Amino acid sequence: MRLMSESSAKSDFQSKIQVFEPHRASLPPLIPYFKEFWKRRAFAIELSRFADKAEYLDSKFGKVWLVLNPVLLALVYYLLVTVIRASKSHNNGLTTLAHILIGLFTFYFAQNCINSGALSITAGGRLILNQAFPRALLPFSSTISAFWAFLPTIPVYIFVIVVGKYFYPATQVPGFTWNYLWVPFIVICVGVTGFGLALLFATMNVYFRDTNKLLQYMTRIWLYLCPVLWLPSALHGWHRILLTINPLGPTLAATSNVWIEGIAPTHSEIIGSIAWALASVLVGGYFFISRERDFAVRI
Amino acid sequence: MRSASKKQPVVMPEELAIRIEELSISYKINVDTKRTLKNAVMRASKGEKVRTRVVEAVKNMTLDVPHGSVLGIVGANGAGKSTLMRSIAGILPPTSGRIIVNGKISTLLALGVGFNPALSGRDNIILGGLASGMSREEIENKTEEIADFAALPDGFIDMPVRTYSSGMYGRVAFSVAVNMTPDILLLDEALSAGDASFKEKSFTRMRELCAEARTIIIVSHALATVTELCDSAIWMHKGTMLAQGKPDAIVDQYLKFLDVGALPSNFEDM
Repeated sequence: MRLMSESSAKSDFQSKIQVFEPHRASLPPLIPYFKEFWKRRAFAIELSRFADKAEYLDSKFGKVWLVLNPVLLALVYYLLVTVIRASKSHNNGLTTLAHILIGLFTFYFAQNCINSGALSITAGGRLILNQAFPRALLPFSSTISAFWAFLPTIPVYIFVIVVGKYFYPATQVPGFTWNYLWVPFIVICVGVTGFGLALLFATMNVYFRDTNKLLQYMTRIWLYLCPVLWLPSALHGWHRILLTINPLGPTLAATSNVWIEGIAPTHSEIIGSIAWALASVLVGGYFFISRERDFAVRI
Repeated sequence: MRSASKKQPVVMPEELAIRIEELSISYKINVDTKRTLKNAVMRASKGEKVRTRVVEAVKNMTLDVPHGSVLGIVGANGAGKSTLMRSIAGILPPTSGRIIVNGKISTLLALGVGFNPALSGRDNIILGGLASGMSREEIENKTEEIADFAALPDGFIDMPVRTYSSGMYGRVAFSVAVNMTPDILLLDEALSAGDASFKEKSFTRMRELCAEARTIIIVSHALATVTELCDSAIWMHKGTMLAQGKPDAIVDQYLKFLDVGALPSNFEDM
């Protein structure tokens, strides 16, 4: 009898020799897990593409809704903030509109990551029961979808500002500035924070199936607590802690600085954005991966 | 879940496709039917604990499956057959013991393999292939072969899966699983898809796979499938492997245990 070499090729997935053993401290072997996650990124990308295709297949306006929805919502909030509250807005309201638009687009990016990510495991039941793959790919796929939905909102914002500046050249909203180079940093921080929270809520949704319903209210309240409908400079004294304890607080404050003030984010905003992104993905990732085994029996 | 005790070296004779060593699988399930946050908060406010039950789905099982063999698994509902299959596929890690698998696995353990009903059969084939670890190029090269094998009526492969009949749905799923060039194919109640001619085609394809020294494990309540296709069988009952041997003998023992005799219904696909 010939024996196979005592292979160190251990994997929970699809290498030639696979050894399935009990997980230590509830966690699968992490190096093979992340290797496999990276190897199957094409699956997450295609899943996201196909999910978008399926979602907008029967819609007349199709993907236009991805942009139209936050734009219309931004106009509603703009009316609430300026006309109904009769608040005095300088620069003919263009600054207020610009702030609400870019804040809402950015917040929507995170919200879409979380809301669709939270459903990704319970909705992917059959796939989970049939295939062995790192389950984190499913919320990751939702994050990719949210990113593709966010991307076209940037040209829309730029279009609104260019038109606005044409009619109101005195506005303080900046034209081109090198500080726009901070935008990719902001987008990455929002994406990572959204992905981390998606992992957390996707796991919770497996245990408590009404988590997603609660999320709808939570994200609405969260929006009001974020510097989207109000400027970060509106907070003074100890109220400014709201920008620190809010996972999107530092990032949205940085968004406001870059897009509305045309200045670089402050050090505290940079550190806060990185800290929240890391904390979200580490806590959410641990919670998710340590409970992956349960998914196959609880779905 | 218990953590692994002292690590054993991986010893795998070359002729084996699967080695199962003292495998036990258990998991906790909530007894409460409504798994909601609202219920959890209500329970917590009353100081009640979550009612859970530990299910011992597989108990201390040891088994070797050689390359090129077709193993049938029979047993009543709740015997642990599907749990065992999921564990071999790497979907459900063991609670104790170990499974060593030598080869690429393809599975058909749940009806529909994650099909998105709004997408076409072709799109779903691509997704299924990518999920099983194939590259985009590999699966695109296979798509036509898979679509041909499923032999759907004209044009259906490019229509949304929601327009398929259950038979067509099962044919595509089966076609994806058997055409992934697996070393090990795991089928859980998957052979009831399609009509008589598709069933014959499925059997022929599985015999081809065996001739290529690929290994197949079949869970089926259709005992005729087990006796016709398998060269060995095991009988599981309440998580324990009660018997192992030739399919005919195992099926006889199982039927005696059920005390129903060789009724035609036991041999039909259900």
